[in-house]
Amino acid sequence: MDLPGPRWKKGKDGKDFAALAAANPMSAIFAELIASFTSSMPVAILSGTGGAAILGVEPEQAVILIRAAIGHAIENTLAEKHWFQLSPEEVFYLCHALNCIRVESEDKKQMYEVELWDHFRSVSEPFPVMYKAYSHLRLKNWVVRSGLQYGADFVAYSHHPALVHSEFAVVVVPEGAEFGNRCGRLKVWSDLLCALRASGSVAKTLLVLTISTVSNCELSSPDCLEQLVVHERTITRWMPQLCREQRCKPGRDHTNVSREEQVMKNKSVAFNYCGVILGFTVLSSLLVYKLKFRQ
Amino acid sequence: MAPARVDRRRRGHAPAVPAITTEDDGEEHHLNPFLDTAPSPSSRVQFRKVASRARWVEDAGAAEVVDSKGKLWLTTGVNRDGKLYYNVEEIGFLAERGALVLLDDEGETIGMEEIYKKIAGGNYGCSWVAFQAYKHLKLLGYIIGRYGVPWTVKHSHTRGITDSSTSVVDTDQSFDRVGGAGACNDITKSLKEMCIDSIHPSFQVYLPNSKFKKTSPGDPSFFLCLLRDKPPSRDELETVENRFEGIPLKFCHVDNGRVSFLSFDKAVLPSLP
Repeated sequence: MDLPGPRWKKGKDGKDFAALAAANPMSAIFAELIASFTSSMPVAILSGTGGAAILGVEPEQAVILIRAAIGHAIENTLAEKHWFQLSPEEVFYLCHALNCIRVESEDKKQMYEVELWDHFRSVSEPFPVMYKAYSHLRLKNWVVRSGLQYGADFVAYSHHPALVHSEFAVVVVPEGAEFGNRCGRLKVWSDLLCALRASGSVAKTLLVLTISTVSNCELSSPDCLEQLVVHERTITRWMPQLCREQRCKPGRDHTNVSREEQVMKNKSVAFNYCGVILGFTVLSSLLVYKLKFRQ
Repeated sequence: MAPARVDRRRRGHAPAVPAITTEDDGEEHHLNPFLDTAPSPSSRVQFRKVASRARWVEDAGAAEVVDSKGKLWLTTGVNRDGKLYYNVEEIGFLAERGALVLLDDEGETIGMEEIYKKIAGGNYGCSWVAFQAYKHLKLLGYIIGRYGVPWTVKHSHTRGITDSSTSVVDTDQSFDRVGGAGACNDITKSLKEMCIDSIHPSFQVYLPNSKFKKTSPGDPSFFLCLLRDKPPSRDELETVENRFEGIPLKFCHVDNGRVSFLSFDKAVLPSLP
């Protein structure tokens, strides 16, 4: 299906930030991050029971972290370094996927990847699938942040949250016996419809990432990440009363009223010659967009 | 991310509190980091012109204040034998705001990195999560002390003399998680308590109050319990509720920079006609 395009925020001059984002693609920001961090290998300090970590970096590295939308900056007046708070997924991504930070436990012992994996798994059972989902999206250059305040696992933006509204509320659903019998999300209708409603009320599409395993997968090692497969699926509501026109796309809950009015207005020009040309142009550009998106 | 604007308001007694704006739908505020004029991550005015100074006392797991400036001490820190001590979360909070300089035994400044390590390490009765919760409420003007730790204790070294007007808790536990005489036992005890999976109060919280007195603080408005990665079960809630009569409980969940407060109150719906 056609995925909705990004909703860019607007700057002071009234123009939207699409151009600014295009000039600063996430791939370039991450290339800069790797270049800047690997020379100094800053050290993140694990914070024990909480599962998160704190990272102190030089000012120019802090700018890159902020642009990559990684971590939360900790307000601090006098410290020489800039301090950030990182989630378990962010720590592991910087350490394992990008290999640009080191991690120390509270007692100043260096944590290597396997130990770090064990640590995060002990703090949070779903860590393997959450991390797989996080890295899956980040590797495609999506910006991924916590989605807890929306009742989702993550929210995904096509660029920095200052430039664009997030498009997706992401729910991660593990599938398979390896993940035990813990109650996963979206296994009952009340939960699924709740997730759908919650994401719709904040203008996001519900994206479900189902994680399955290729072969017998040993979750105790980060090597299992290669055995995990991510399947992407959106759940959207289709409103039959609004979509009797050819060109209508399924809408999110909150846009229903305006769409209905729009459809009524368009009815009178639907069979107009110009309307046909317009329709053709719209459909073909949607097709181009869809093809581009699917790559 | 850091709040978009930080407004400072001064109240009569309390330190200036920056206003943190949040939208109802929970969207974070973000400064645009791609503009040339984007401000640096920590360009903000120093909280105080002159900072207080405190010396770290390892045995106590706390810092003894040697040089107190302003009125912070009215609602922060505990008094022991006429001396003022700040625990790690108080040190962290004040140091971040430039209101406190922490010194070691040689009088050298202990930097922010070491302070964060002390908090994150969990060896001094606090954790990073607890620090987030503490900071969030403290910035809003609440008065917060560690659960079970009296604000002020006067006792001489001979156990025979106790000052009954100030000490509510047995003097043996006067430092409790802050440390002090018998610190090793108290700290290990509090660590064991932290390791037990049961939910327990971490802080006693009072509403902002210009007339707050450590010598007679009164009952706290609520106790704050920190929640971990799973929501609490009915059993866990009932266990912790049964220990307290009268003082409300609030629960805090920290999700990497975002602090949420929840009440899980028992309800009894009336039967309707």
